[in-house]
Amino acid sequence: MATTITKTETLVGKRIRRKEDPRLITGTATYVDDIQMPGMHHACILRSPHGAARIRSINIKPAINQAGVVAVFIGKDIEAVGPVPCGASLPGLRVPAHSILAKDRVYYVGHPVAVAVATDRYIARDAIDLIEVDYEPLQAVSDPEKALEPGAPAVHPEWPDNTAFTFHQEGGEPEKAFKEAEVVVKQRITSQRLVPTSIETRGVVADYRSAEKNLTLYSSTQIPHLLRTLVAQMLGLAENRMRVITPEVGGGFGSKLNVYAEEALMGFVAMKIGKPVKWIESRRENFLCTIHGRGHVDYYEIAARRDGTVLGLRLKLIQDLGAYHQLLTPAIPTLSVLMMPGLYKFRNVIADIVGVFTNCVPTDAYRGAGRPEATHGIERMMDLLALELKMDPAELRLKNFPGKGEFPYLTATGLSYDSGDYAAPLKKALDMVDYHKLRNAQRDAKAKGRLMGIGISTYGEICAFGPSPATPAGGWESATVKIEPSGKVTVLTGTSPHGQGEETTFAQIAADELGVSMDDIIVLHGDTSIVQYGIGTFGSRSTAVGGPALYYALQDLKAKIKKFGEMLLESDDVTCSGGQCICNKTGKTIEFAQIAAASYRAMKLPPNTEPGLMATHFWEPPNFAFPFGAHIVVSEVDRDTGQVEIQRYVAVDDCVNIINPLLVDGQIHGGVAQGLGQALCEQAVYDENAQLITGELMDYALPKASTMPYIETGHTITPSPVNPLGVKGVGEAGTIGCSPAVVNSVVDALSHLGVRHIDMPLTSEKLWKLVRQGGQA
Amino acid sequence: MIPQNFEYSAPTSLKEALALIAKGDAKVLAGGMSLIPLMKLRLAAPEHVVDLSRIADLKSVHEDGKGEFPGGALHLGALATHFEIESSALVRSKCPLLAEVASNIGDVQVRNVGTIGGSTAHADPAADYPAGLMALEAKVHLTTAKGERTLPIDQFIVDALSTALKPNELVREIIVPVETRGTGFSYQKLAQPASGFAVVGVAARVRKSAGKVTFVRVGVTGLAGKAFRATRVEKLLEGTSGSAADIQKAAAQAAEGVDANTDLHASADYRRQMTKVFTARALTQALSRAD
Amino acid sequence: MKVGGSYTLPLLRQRAHELLQDPAILARCMPGCEDLKKIGPDEYEMQMKVVVSAVQGLFAGKVRITDQKPPESFRLIVEGSGKVGFMKGDGLLTLVPATVTTGVSILGSEGTEVRYEGDVQVGGTLAGVGQRLLDSTAKMIIRKFFEKLAEAGAETEQAAIVP
Ligand SMILES: Cc1cc2nc3c(=O)[nH]c(=O)nc-3n(C[C@H](O)[C@H](O)[C@H](O)COP(=O)(O)OP(=O)(O)OC[C@H]3O[C@@H](n4cnc5c(N)ncnc54)[C@H](O)[C@@H]3O)c2cc1C
Repeated sequence: MATTITKTETLVGKRIRRKEDPRLITGTATYVDDIQMPGMHHACILRSPHGAARIRSINIKPAINQAGVVAVFIGKDIEAVGPVPCGASLPGLRVPAHSILAKDRVYYVGHPVAVAVATDRYIARDAIDLIEVDYEPLQAVSDPEKALEPGAPAVHPEWPDNTAFTFHQEGGEPEKAFKEAEVVVKQRITSQRLVPTSIETRGVVADYRSAEKNLTLYSSTQIPHLLRTLVAQMLGLAENRMRVITPEVGGGFGSKLNVYAEEALMGFVAMKIGKPVKWIESRRENFLCTIHGRGHVDYYEIAARRDGTVLGLRLKLIQDLGAYHQLLTPAIPTLSVLMMPGLYKFRNVIADIVGVFTNCVPTDAYRGAGRPEATHGIERMMDLLALELKMDPAELRLKNFPGKGEFPYLTATGLSYDSGDYAAPLKKALDMVDYHKLRNAQRDAKAKGRLMGIGISTYGEICAFGPSPATPAGGWESATVKIEPSGKVTVLTGTSPHGQGEETTFAQIAADELGVSMDDIIVLHGDTSIVQYGIGTFGSRSTAVGGPALYYALQDLKAKIKKFGEMLLESDDVTCSGGQCICNKTGKTIEFAQIAAASYRAMKLPPNTEPGLMATHFWEPPNFAFPFGAHIVVSEVDRDTGQVEIQRYVAVDDCVNIINPLLVDGQIHGGVAQGLGQALCEQAVYDENAQLITGELMDYALPKASTMPYIETGHTITPSPVNPLGVKGVGEAGTIGCSPAVVNSVVDALSHLGVRHIDMPLTSEKLWKLVRQGGQA
Repeated sequence: MIPQNFEYSAPTSLKEALALIAKGDAKVLAGGMSLIPLMKLRLAAPEHVVDLSRIADLKSVHEDGKGEFPGGALHLGALATHFEIESSALVRSKCPLLAEVASNIGDVQVRNVGTIGGSTAHADPAADYPAGLMALEAKVHLTTAKGERTLPIDQFIVDALSTALKPNELVREIIVPVETRGTGFSYQKLAQPASGFAVVGVAARVRKSAGKVTFVRVGVTGLAGKAFRATRVEKLLEGTSGSAADIQKAAAQAAEGVDANTDLHASADYRRQMTKVFTARALTQALSRAD
Repeated sequence: MKVGGSYTLPLLRQRAHELLQDPAILARCMPGCEDLKKIGPDEYEMQMKVVVSAVQGLFAGKVRITDQKPPESFRLIVEGSGKVGFMKGDGLLTLVPATVTTGVSILGSEGTEVRYEGDVQVGGTLAGVGQRLLDSTAKMIIRKFFEKLAEAGAETEQAAIVP
C-alpha cells in the first residue's frame, strides 16, 4: 500500500510510490530515441558476421552513391580517435588495441566494421547492405577452456596463449589447511554467459556545434560524468566543452556502466558531418555488441574438519573475457575472489584467476558483477560439504558464520565486513518456511517418489562502491541541495538512477531533513552541465554512497538555514524542524520559504555568511558496505519431463535501514527474476565458430512475469556504522542470493540419485536426463 | 531491425486482395507475428505487402449446419485471432479443443494479433494449431482470383514451413467439425522457454461407449518437420478400456518412425520421449473429459 | 550442426552417381539454384535463391566435389554467402545398392540408397536467429533435393529407354 504524504510525517521508512512512475507508465518519458533535432541524421553500423576474419578489402562506393547517404566511415578514417578505454588495471594486464571500428581484422561476431550515415534511418540501414567487405575467415575460439589449450586459435595473434592476465591472491596458510583437512570437497562450477537485456537498448544522439566547439552527447548510460571525461579524451575534446545528458534510461543492469565504441563514434560522426546524428542499437546488436555478464569456469576445493568447521578454500577461476577489455572487464573476476569466502570463517584461502581472450563480445559488470559467481560457487560448495558430511546445510552454515561480536570482521581476502549478524536472516528464513516441518514434508514426498528439494543460500555482497582507493575511477559521490528563493527544493545527485527510484528515495530523505513536502522537492541527475561531477549508478551504491552525500549536503544547508533563522528571529536558541525555524525562548517561528527569500534578497546577512541557500557535498565512504541475507527455495522436479517448479521462494535481506520498503521489495523481486533467469533458463551460447546462436529473444530464454514464483520477502536490521543513514545497498542482493538457492534445491531434490552438482541453466532436458540416467550426467 | 523498402496495400475486399497478390512478389500480412520479425531481420524482403486486416469477410467465425462435416462445421475466417478463438463462446462450446490449443499459443500479446490463417499458412514446425487441426481432421479452404479449393490439413501442410499454397492463393478459412457430444479433448504442450513455441505439443480427442474407447484422434506438433496424426497411437487405444496401462502402451508409439528435430532447446531423443509423455497426458485428460 | 540420413533413389548406382555429378542435374535439383557454372574440375560456382515460407535468401557460392570413389562415394562441399549470412556444408555421400519400396520405378525394385553424413556450419543472421528452425529446414531442403533428383532420374531413364 502506498501512503499519501503530509508534511509532518516522517517519510523515510514508508512505502511511497515512485515519483518517476507517472511519466513512465503514461509513455511520456523521454528516452534517447525520442529525441528529435532539426537536421538530425541517422547512423547504422555494419558488423562482422564472423568470429574471426581478416579484412581483405572494403568497398564503400555502392553505399556512398546511394541518395540520402551522406557519409560512410571505416577503420582507416578514425585513426585520430582514441581507443575504447579499459579502466581496470592489473599487474601485467595485456590490453589489446581497441579501436572504435575494426581495422584489418575482426575479433567477434558483431565487431563494428563501418558506419553509414544518412538522412533517415531506413536509408542508413539499406546503405550497410551495400558495403562490400571481403573477409578471409579465420579459426575462432569461443570456449575459454579450449582457448587455453596449446594450439588453440589465437584471438590476438600477438598473444598465442590467449591469456590476458593471471592474478593470484592468498590469505592465511592455505596449503597447511588442506594438508590438515579431514575432508576435502572439490567441484567444477560454471556461471554461464548471460545477456543483460535491458528493455531499452543502448542509443546515442550526438550534436556538435562547430562555432562553439561544443559536443552534446545524449546517451543511455549509467555514468554520464565518467562518459564525458573518457569520450572527451577519445575525441581530443576539451572536457568542459562536452556535455553528456542521460535522458530516461530503460534499464542497464551494469551493461550501461561502460564506454562503448558507438558513443565516441557518434561524437566523431557529428563532428565530421556538422549535423546531429542518432544511433539506436537494435535488439540484435544488443545481443551481439553490448557486454555480456558472467562467463566463469571455476574449480573449487574446500578443506574442512569432520565436525563441519571450514578450514581452507582454493579456487582456480577461468574468466571468459571476450575479445577485448571494456571498461571494467578484467576487474570483475577479482571481485569474485574478494568475495569467495562468502559469509564463512575461512581463514586460509588461495585463488588464481586466468583471464582468457575468446572471439566473443567482452564480458563485464552485470547485476552483481563477480559476486553472484562467487556466491554461487561458495554456496554450492557448502552444500557439497554438507552432503559429504551428511550434515544439514543450514546447520553447517550456522556453524561457520563469524559471531555477532566479531565485527568488523576481517576476511582472509582482506576485506573488512563492517557489521552483521549473519545467523539472523538465515534463522528468519528458516522460520518463514518452518524448516523442520518442511524437511519432514520432503521426506514424505520423496518416499512417494516425488522429487522435492529445499535449497538454502546465504550471501554477503560488497556494495556501496566504494572507497576511492579501491575503485578504478573514484568511489565517492556528490550531492547539491538548493533551496530556491520561493522555498522549493532542488536536489542534484551525481548518481544516475535508471529505474532504481532515487528521485523518490532522495526526495524522502531531503523532505525529512528539511521538513518540507516531497512535492516541493525535485531530484535532478544525468546532465553533466547541470549536476556537479559524480560517479554514477552501479554496484548498489546510489543510496549507500549518494545518500550520505545528500545527507551531509542537507546538514550543511540546515546549518546555514539556522544562521538565517537566528538572525531573523533575533535569537541564538533556534531549532530547525518541520520546515521552519523555531525560537526556543519565544516560540516564534519562521518558515523556510521566508528564510529562503531573505537569503536571496540579502538585505541583511548573518555574520560570515554568503547569500543564497545551496550546499554541495562530496562524500568519500570509509569502507564498502556489506549487506547480507538468506534465500530459501522449495522446488520440485517433474520426473517425466525434467521441468522445475519453484514452489516457495523466501528472501530475507539485511540492508539495514530501509528508506522505502516498496522499492526495496521491487529491487529484490527484480534481482530474483534475474537470478532465476540464470539458474533456470538464460544462456548466451556461442557455437564452436564463435557464432552467437542465442542471438535474440526467440532463443534466449528470459524469465517472464508468468513464470515468476511468488516471492516472500523478509528483512532483518543490523545497524551499520559505515554511513550516517545506516543504509547498505540492495540493488544486486536478489540476484546474488538466488541462483545457488535454486540450484541447491534442485540438487537436493535429486541427491538420492547420486546427483552432487548441476551446472546452470537447469534446463528441463538436463534434469530429465539426470533422472532417467539415475543421476549420471 | 529495419525492413527493406516495400510497397504496402490494405485492400478492403478479398477480390481486391487476390488481384493484388496475383501480380507477383507480394506477401500477405495477417497478424504479422511471424512475417514482421522476418522482415525486420531482412530474412524476408517482399516487394509488396498486402495487409489483409481490413477485409471483414476473413474475420467471420460461424457455424454451418450442412457443410464439410456430417455433424456440422465451424468456419473460422483466416483472420480470426488466437484470442478470438480462445475466447469465442461458439468455439468453446462447439470445438473446445481448438479453443484450448489457441489459449496455449505464445503470450497474450501474440494471441491478440496472431491469426489462425497466418499460423496455418506459415506452417512453423513448432506451431500449436497444426496439432489441433490434425486431431480435428480439419480442412483448409483456399482461394485465388480464379477459384476455390479445399484441402485436408494433412495435405495442406507439406513440410517444415512449406504448404500446398500457390503463390497467388490465400487461406480463406479453416473448417473444423462441430464436436460430437461426449468427446473428450486435451491439448498438452511442453513450451520452449524462450518463445513459448512447442518443443512438443499433443492434441487428443477421444470418445467412449460402453466402457470401451471407440474413437481416438491424436495430432502431434514440434517433434518433426511438420505436424502429423499419430495413427499408431489411435489404433492401439481404440477398442481398449482406456486404462492407464492402455494409455501408456499406446502413447509409447507416438514418436515411432519419426525423424525428430534437434535444436538448442531439445535434442531429438528428448523430443521423442516428451512426445510420449505429453501424448499420455493428453489422452489421460481427454479420457477423463469424455463421457 | 550435424546432418545425416539417407534417401533411396529408383536408380542404379552407376546412374545415381552420374546424376549427382552432372552440373545440369545439380542445378535443377538444388532448391533455388539459379545458376551453376563450372569453374574447374569438380568445382562449380552458383547462385541460389532459397525460399522457405516467407524467408528468402540470395546466396552466391561454390560447389566442390572431392574424394571421388565412383560409383561408391564422394564428398560434396557447398559454400554460400549472402546478406543474411553464410553457410558451409560438407558431407560424405555413400551410394549403396538397395531395394526400392515406395514410388514407381521403371527399373522394378532396383535402386540406390544415398547415405549422407556431414556437418553444416551457419553464420551471420541465419545462425543468430534461426536456431529453432535450422534442423527442420535443412532436412526439408535435403529432402526436396533428393525428391527432385529422383524425378530427374526417372525422366532421364524414361528418355533413355523410350526413344
Ligand atoms: C513471441 C512469439 C511467440 C510465439 N509463440 C507461439 C507459440 O507458442 N505457438 C504458436 O503456434 N505460434 C507462436 N507464435 C507465432 C504466432 O502464433 C503467429 O501469429 C503465427 O504463426 C502467424 O500468424 P500471423 O497472423 O501473425 O501471420 P503473419 O505473420 O502475418 O503471416 C505469416 C505467414 O503466413 C502468410 N499468411 C498470413 N495469412 C495468410 C492467409 N490468409 N493466406 C495465405 N497466407 C497467409 C504470410 O504471408 C506470412 O508468410 C509466436 C510468435 C511470437 C512473435
